[in-house]
Amino acid sequence: MANAKPTLNSNELEIVFESIGEGAVVVNSEGLVIRANKVALSTLGYNESELIGQRFIDKVQALNIDHKKVNTFKRPMVKAITTGKPAYEYIYYHGKKPDLTPVFVSASPIIKDGKPIGVTEIFRDISMEEAVDQMKSEFISLASHQLRTPLALIKTYSHMLLEGYMGEIDNDKRPAVETIVAATNRMNELISTLLNITRLESGSILLDIGSVDIVQIVAEVIKEMEIQAKNRSITIKTFTRGRSPLILSDGPIIKEVLANLISNSVKYSKDNGNVIITIRGNDHDVTVSVKDNGFGIPDPAKAQIFSKFFRANNIIQLETNGTGLGLYLVKGLVNELGGKISFTSKLDEGTTFKLKLPRTVSPN
Amino acid sequence: MSKVLIVEDDKDLNNAYSLILNHFGYSVETAFNGKEALRKIKQFAPDIILLDLLMPIMGGLEFLKQFKKDPTNKAKVLIFTNMENSPELTEAYELGAHRCVIKSWAEPQNLNRLVSDALLAR
Repeated sequence: MANAKPTLNSNELEIVFESIGEGAVVVNSEGLVIRANKVALSTLGYNESELIGQRFIDKVQALNIDHKKVNTFKRPMVKAITTGKPAYEYIYYHGKKPDLTPVFVSASPIIKDGKPIGVTEIFRDISMEEAVDQMKSEFISLASHQLRTPLALIKTYSHMLLEGYMGEIDNDKRPAVETIVAATNRMNELISTLLNITRLESGSILLDIGSVDIVQIVAEVIKEMEIQAKNRSITIKTFTRGRSPLILSDGPIIKEVLANLISNSVKYSKDNGNVIITIRGNDHDVTVSVKDNGFGIPDPAKAQIFSKFFRANNIIQLETNGTGLGLYLVKGLVNELGGKISFTSKLDEGTTFKLKLPRTVSPN
Repeated sequence: MSKVLIVEDDKDLNNAYSLILNHFGYSVETAFNGKEALRKIKQFAPDIILLDLLMPIMGGLEFLKQFKKDPTNKAKVLIFTNMENSPELTEAYELGAHRCVIKSWAEPQNLNRLVSDALLAR
């Protein structure tokens, strides 16, 4: 004999709604609040009579990570009712309380007879997670800085050995010191990447605008990549075309971007490969293209190439060094500079990355 | 012979920079904090100062403030630090630093170029 299905009467359903441990709000198709549970009211600082019957999006402001107002049509609640599909977002809510509350919002349309008649929105206060994230960022910044101090010593002294400041070294010892230099450079890149990602994600990148010579930066990056390229007989050539490569921008950030692009092209080239860097200036911008005839990016990986921690399958099989952070960082930094990054690639034929930088970037 | 004052609290790094700049023919003097540096500039009168930011007794920014108070001090100041993209660098520029360089990227050749470029700059 089948058991009877357990049911709840409307009074019990009301209690269930009230007992939800996250903020829960129900609005009708016009966005007027029908129900708000205790957690929602206490998070937003309203009492029931102040919120019920009011338009939720008028009573509760939504702000993005930069604390700018979120466009009405982009609010999860509005998206859910207009598209008939659930919508999710990390935003800040500003209700009656003076402080902003970081929340993760999930808004689902209430569908009756195939039509959306309202929205149920659940939001979770993520202040604690945000504080932990902030601590994590501060830790990475401090750790990166502390790691750099001994690294500066290793780098300076190994170069001094290599370049004969302490007397000539035997040729059979030279590769060992070159390995130390290459490893130090890699460690330096890793630290820079960590530091910059932390800053990018916490919105604290400060642009330091000055006159930047793209040709000179490319030359510096190539110099740092010299040993790595030489060991695998990879040739790097640079061509300059069109107008002056001088722009007003942030030199160290551009160097970080170009170091990532050029080191990728060397890393993902086959032995004896060629890397061709072309710098082209016109009235409005300077474009740097970095072309290799290496392994290329498989078609299914192309859409994810700028995602955090993403590494294409053909590359994971080849070598294990790599964090999947480089292009994620490049994309973020290029955005900060008001530039554009794009690529074309064919498997086993090679990849070309194109970096377009405006002649003048306005400080953030 | 151009004169360079190295202000860096890490003894080994201070020593390395001295060796390199001596090699390129500069006259070099060293200090291990801002206070010592302020004392040394009086007799040594450097053309260039390589300045670390985080140092005990007196840090780089405080040194720069004191240094710029005296208009007879003409040396160009190159900041050598491991803090990139930080508010301290912005402040250093505002206080009149000539350039800021990340220490762990500096190579001997670069060090020579940085100093000679700074000497040539107006």
